[in-house]
Amino acid sequence: MNAVLRNLRVVRRMTAAEIAQQSVYRGAWIIFMLANITMPIISLLIWRTALASGAELPVDERYVTTYFVLLGFVTMATSSWMAGFLATDIRMGKLSSWMIRPASLLVGFLANNVSEKFLKLFALVPMIGIVWWIFRDSMNIPADAGRWVLFAVSILFGAALVFTIDILIASLAFWMDDVSALVQARVIVASVLSGSVVPLALMPAWSQGFVDNQPFRYTVSFPVEIVAGQLTGRELLVGLGFQLGYVVVFAVIARLVWAAGIRAYSAVGA
Amino acid sequence: MTTYLSDKPPLDRTWLHKQRRHVRLWRRFFAQAVVRETHFRAHFLTTLLVGLVQLGLGIVPTLLLFGFTAEVHGWSRAEVIALVGVFQIVTGLIATFVAPNLNRMTTYLTEGELDGVLLRPVSSQFYLTLRWINVAELTNVASGIVVLVIGLVQAGIAPSLAQVLQAVVLVGCGLVLLTAVWSAMSFLAFWLQSVNPIGFVFLNLMEAGRYPLVFFPVAVRTFLTFAFPVAFATTFPVQALAGDLGWGPVFAGLGLAVVALLLVRLLWRRGLLTYSSASS
Repeated sequence: MNAVLRNLRVVRRMTAAEIAQQSVYRGAWIIFMLANITMPIISLLIWRTALASGAELPVDERYVTTYFVLLGFVTMATSSWMAGFLATDIRMGKLSSWMIRPASLLVGFLANNVSEKFLKLFALVPMIGIVWWIFRDSMNIPADAGRWVLFAVSILFGAALVFTIDILIASLAFWMDDVSALVQARVIVASVLSGSVVPLALMPAWSQGFVDNQPFRYTVSFPVEIVAGQLTGRELLVGLGFQLGYVVVFAVIARLVWAAGIRAYSAVGA
Repeated sequence: MTTYLSDKPPLDRTWLHKQRRHVRLWRRFFAQAVVRETHFRAHFLTTLLVGLVQLGLGIVPTLLLFGFTAEVHGWSRAEVIALVGVFQIVTGLIATFVAPNLNRMTTYLTEGELDGVLLRPVSSQFYLTLRWINVAELTNVASGIVVLVIGLVQAGIAPSLAQVLQAVVLVGCGLVLLTAVWSAMSFLAFWLQSVNPIGFVFLNLMEAGRYPLVFFPVAVRTFLTFAFPVAFATTFPVQALAGDLGWGPVFAGLGLAVVALLLVRLLWRRGLLTYSSASS
């Protein structure tokens, strides 16, 4: 228990330090977030056009609109970008200096993740707000606060899931020289299977069984569906259960691989 | 045999000779890039593979969309696939010739590398925009041509020579226009110091070029034609191949390209005036 509390304190301090440091790049964050919402807006316009010209989609205009307006926010909130950096730190032996410190190297990456997301919010939320206002007449806005609480919880789970997948991929750097191809492969696979390019509801019928249950759905699509879709109480519970299950499973695997990696680690220059 | 010691005519400074010198220089850049690429065959292979996967994924939304409907605003699936082919060609050309340079703009300005460029007897803007070439990306141009041909055959379009000419000129204009826009965005580095993420915005906006112009609301169409002219690079060439376009848009594209080049030139000059070297 003491160790957990100490780690939390370290994360809080490091996050504060990171925020102070990263605030220098205010202009860059705004530009990054502009890029972040560009794709969802393009997709939104395309699918609304398809609907307007008579395409028979399995979902209605409200679903599509709400989905793509929220998409930019959720992809940012659950994203992780550390795999490449962590792999470099392992390969270049930077891990060595962390092994004699009273906190894990991963704590540093966690602090970096939290602080950058916090700063990005200031740039992203106003942009999403504007898009929301433009399409306010065809948005699904659940009235009960419970949905929004579930939405927030599900985003937290999703963020944890993406983060652990990243640790898992980067940990392979203990044995491989270069994981950049793996990182790229994950980005490509995730872009389709997470629902960040096309809503999973629009995937062909024959793929639904697989698409609905694979882990990437719970990194982006599921949180958005909580607000945009008409998930029943049962579906919500099952979904959250699945999401939590994936977080636990991936966390256990990542923990094992990381521990094995640390044992196998022989640093350059150490 | 001429050596460096033998008498040489002085650099000819007439306008025409200057242009010829730059073309000759660019040929050297290209030859050097090809030689370099032969040293990194793994890079060539990964670029090819990644390009193919991205091409496949890029078609996914289009295929899904046309699973629900036969045509959208007069565009059939085959025509949109032809358009994706043109998009792949254009993005491949930009990734080959332009992106490797403009992505370095921040380093040029913040590390003082621009100093070295300004001392050379070439146009600094030419050097900064076209010095580096990523030959491996040409594989994406090749795969784009294949997709374009598949789309055209499926759509039953057999363009005449004049129509092909129109399309090629339009793609050329689109390339010049998009390069000008990206250059202008990068040259903002003179005033903002760091513009590294500008490339992300540019490439994300480019994605709109995967779809025909008429798929967007009117306001967005205007934006994609005049402000961020990706329409000239993808929609118009495909329309030209289908024979739906007269020479009007072709000349409009040429005119816009000249205007854009002049504006970027102006911006570059203004930017240079504010440049105070980072190293001295």
